[in-house]
This record gives sequence, structure tokens and C-alpha cells, in this order.
Amino acid sequence: MPELREVPDEAPPFLGTWRRVYIGVLIYLVLIITVFYLFTRAYR
Amino acid sequence: MRPLDWIVLVSTLLSIVAYGLYRSRGSNTVDRYLLAGKTMPWYAMALSIMATQASAITFISTTGQAYADGMRFVQFYFGLPLAMVVICSTVVPVFHRTKVYTAYEYLEQRFDSKTRALASLIFLCQRGLSAGMTIYAPAIVLSAILGWPERLTTSMMGAIVITYTVLGGIKAVTWSDVQQMCVIFLGLVIALVTVFVLLPSTVSFGDAVYLAGVAGRLNAVTTTFNWTDRFNIWSGLFGGTFLFLSYFGCDQSQVQRYLTGRSIAQSRLSLLFNAVAKIPMQFFILFIGAMVFVFYLFVQPPVLFQDSEVSRIQGRAEFPAIQQRYNQAFSRRREAALALVQSRRSGDGQAETASRESYRAAEAEIAATRERAARLVESAGGEKGYTDTNYIFLSFVTRYLPVGIVGLVIAVIFAATMSASSGEINSLATVTVVDLYRRFMKRGASDHHYLLASRWSTLFWGVYAVGFAGFAGRLGSLIVAVNKVGSLFYGTLLGCFVVAFVFRRVGGTAAFIGMIAGEAAILATARFMDISWLWYSPIGCAVVVLTALAVTSLTPAAPGSTPARRSEV
Repeated sequence: MPELREVPDEAPPFLGTWRRVYIGVLIYLVLIITVFYLFTRAYR
Repeated sequence: MRPLDWIVLVSTLLSIVAYGLYRSRGSNTVDRYLLAGKTMPWYAMALSIMATQASAITFISTTGQAYADGMRFVQFYFGLPLAMVVICSTVVPVFHRTKVYTAYEYLEQRFDSKTRALASLIFLCQRGLSAGMTIYAPAIVLSAILGWPERLTTSMMGAIVITYTVLGGIKAVTWSDVQQMCVIFLGLVIALVTVFVLLPSTVSFGDAVYLAGVAGRLNAVTTTFNWTDRFNIWSGLFGGTFLFLSYFGCDQSQVQRYLTGRSIAQSRLSLLFNAVAKIPMQFFILFIGAMVFVFYLFVQPPVLFQDSEVSRIQGRAEFPAIQQRYNQAFSRRREAALALVQSRRSGDGQAETASRESYRAAEAEIAATRERAARLVESAGGEKGYTDTNYIFLSFVTRYLPVGIVGLVIAVIFAATMSASSGEINSLATVTVVDLYRRFMKRGASDHHYLLASRWSTLFWGVYAVGFAGFAGRLGSLIVAVNKVGSLFYGTLLGCFVVAFVFRRVGGTAAFIGMIAGEAAILATARFMDISWLWYSPIGCAVVVLTALAVTSLTPAAPGSTPARRSEV
């Protein structure tokens, strides 16, 4: 396998861990699709 | 274009180039020239990624699409956040830790040199085709709307891009992209505000949104599944995810943006910014198109937005009847729209229902008449499957926007073209020098030698892009081609990277055979099956993975052998 060199993996500037940031992005996606869906229904 | 428009256009372009070159001082080593010495902050990378992805045709075509078909194109981007999360958690740390210049350099570390070479060649084919189209596509529209010769437009944009990309390398590209995105945002906001100002005083913001919705122009989410429908929530989430995984994980024009980050965290933030900002941005651009539609409810638009094609069909016997039918339908639609606004305000449900039906009927009549005119263009010797979607927004801009703003919007088109093109040229040069020239042709030369080779390679790809743009006019429908070209190659690259990251027992030969099978499957699908191009990437990726696994399982491993080896570069 490729040789991996040590590169520091800093914590994100918000939410503490990257895992929480990723979950936040996925929740955002669900919310934005819901908002767009409601928007579509409201003006159909 | 009046003098003030020219002043705005020229000063905007000059300031972009000057700022990019100023920020690129000291790009005097290969590392600084190609990766900015890994010093870029996340916000610069984020805007550069956004700018590279958004070509001029995105703005020209997307607004026109909303005018003609509504906002459902936004669903294409629903897969982006999913893809970004996967890339941030898997690809970004590995690329940073292996200290690669290109995504394909990693493939040699993981597999072997032939897999790296094949992936590099696939990238050069795909991006090389796109590079000419990126410059040519807006040129044909600017030529049709403003009467500028296509050659002059492509040469002008090409010369500016080549200048700052050759001289400043990736730093100049990135910082120019930052400024270009600022100009693009400013231009779009001003365009939307101007559309509202131009609406009749009796029509409020709420009325405008209501009228667009009743005409079906605010259909941001469609849940009906259809294999041939490019834009619904399912093709967006599934096909879009694969396409963006390929684009941001395997396409050097994007990978090189975030490899310039000073840390893994900075690269991740730049990608996650795009995951969050891109969907609202596309929604906003589409919304402008929907509002242009509302504007044209009260000001009669031409039957077709491309003057040269109207001239082509004006002498035909069928044209007067089409024009008359169109004029009558427009009058009916305008009256129905005004009546609809009045009845909605008065709260008269019955009148509102009647006006709505009348409004929709007139709108359907207009759409049918425009379609007849488009087919007449076809029968009069025009392009097969002709549509004027790409001419709607710029036609509106040049006819109705005030002086100065026209120059700014044209600057937006130039800026978007230049940012997309510079990213492509820069990445093509990087792959040419790092993955092919330095690896297979001239090994062990000095850093200065490779820096010079990078500059010459950048110049070559820049001149090639401009030259190919001159030839691209003979290739037919470019707008469709621009969208399809990426999908024809991405699945193969993505499949190779999936194998590299997920299936550790697969070796170089199996991955290589898998890539050839995947590319053959995509080309066969495109040739023989009638499905949306959004599905090409998942199909190609699946074939690469399954073939590589099958070859691995059929090949006995040599005692003590390991499938992966270290790069010699």
C-alpha cells in the first residue's frame, strides 16, 4: 500500500469533530430538499 | 454595448488579471507553480472550486432553462453534499498524506505505472475536449447576441487566460477565481434586482412569484421517477452523487484546487463550503430565469430569442401564421396574468380559478407556438433539435438592462469562462508534466527544468483550447456535448479510485482491465441505450469495480507478492 506520511489532522473550527460536521451537512441537505419541496407545493 | 459598458467590462477584466498576477508573485518552483506551495486558505480554495465548476454556459443556459422549463435543474446538485462528505472523509486525507501533485500519481503508489498512465490519458482526453468547448460555448452566444466575431471572442478570452495562467501558475488561477466569483455574485444580484425594478408597478414581488409558480416555473422538486428524465430528485441524489464523486475525487481540475490547502482541515472546509453554498447559488440563478419569465409576461418577447434564426425563417410561408398566433397568445396571457393578480388580491376564488385556467391555456399556446417556430428553423436548414434556451438571458440583458449593468453582466460571462478555462488548462498542464513527461519521458531533471516544462505545457494547452474552440463550431450541439463529455469518462476514473480505496486486494493489472471494461461499457451505453447521461457514471463505476474484482478472483496471487507498490517518482 502507499506509504502515508504524518500530516496533522486538525479539528474543525466548529462542532468539535469532523464526524459532527458531516452529520450537520447531511441534515442541511435534508432540510434544503424539504424546503424546496414545500416551496414547489406552495406555488404549484 | 455603450461606452460605459465597455469601460465596466475592460476595467473588470484588467483588475482580475492584475490582482491574480500580483498574488502569484514568487511562483518560482514546481511546488509553488503547481500547488501554491500548499499555502492557500480555505476560502480561496472554496471560491476557486466554485469558479472552476461554474462555466459561462452555467449562467447563460441555467437561466434560460428556468425560463423555458422551470427550476427542476436544481435537483442535479442534491448529490453534491453527499459526495463532498465522502470525499472529505476518505480522499482528502489520503491525497494530503501521500503528498501527491495529481490524483493519478496516487494510482501508481497504489497500483502501478500503467494504471496511472491510463487514468492520466483518460483525463487528458476528457478535459482536452472540454477545454475548447468551455471557451467556444459562450462565444457563439455572445456572437449571436452582440454580433462579435466568434474568433475575436475566443481569442480575447483565451489570450487573457493564457497570460495569467502561464505567468502565475495555480496561485494566479486561484486568486483570479476568487475575484471572478465576487464579480459573478455581484452581477447576479444586480440582474435580479433589475428584473424586479423592470416589472410593472402593479405587480409586487409576491405576485411575480405567484405567477411564476402557476406557470410551473418554480418546480424545484419533482418526485416522479423516469430513466430518461435528467432532472428529478432520484437522478439528482443517485446519479448526481456519482457524478460529483467523480468530479471532485478524480478530476485533476478540481483535485488540484484543494491540494493547494495548507492542511487537511483547510481542504475539507473548502469542499464543505461548496457542499453548503452550491445548491442555494444554483437556486438563485434559476430564480433569476423564472423572474425573467415573469418580466416577459408583460413585455412581448420575440417568438425566438436568436435573431439570426428568426431571420432564417421569416421568409417561409408558415411564419406569418406562427407570428400571428404567437401575438394573440401573448395578449391573452398578459390579460390573464393581470386578471389573476387582481382576483388573487380581491380574494375572489372563482375568478382566480377562471383566470388561472385562462393563463395556463395561453401559456401552453405560447409554448406550442415557440416549438413550431423551432421546428421551422430545423426544416429551414438549422440545427437538428434546435432550441433557443441559451439565448434567452443574454437577449434580455442586452435589450432591457440599463447601461453599465450590461457591461457588468458580460464581464460575468467572461469571468466565468476564464475561471473555468484557467482551471482546466492549469490541470491539463500539471498532468502532462507530472504524470507523463516527468514520469515517462525525462526523469531526474532539475526543478527549474520542470518549472519551464510546466509553463510551456500551460501555454500549449491554452493555445490548444483556443484552437479547438475555433474547430468546435463544426461539432454540432455544443451545449449538450459539454454536459455529456464528462459523464463519458468520469465513471471509469471513479471506478478505479473506488477500487483503490475500498478493495485492497485488487492489484494494478485487474484495475487496468477494469478501467478498459468500464470505458467500453459507458461508450456502449451512450451509443445503444436511451437513458439520461447522469446514469453513465454509476454504470461505468460498477463495471470497473466488478471487472477488477472478477479478474482478481480469477488470478492466483504469487507467493509473497503484494498488489500495491511504491511510486518511483
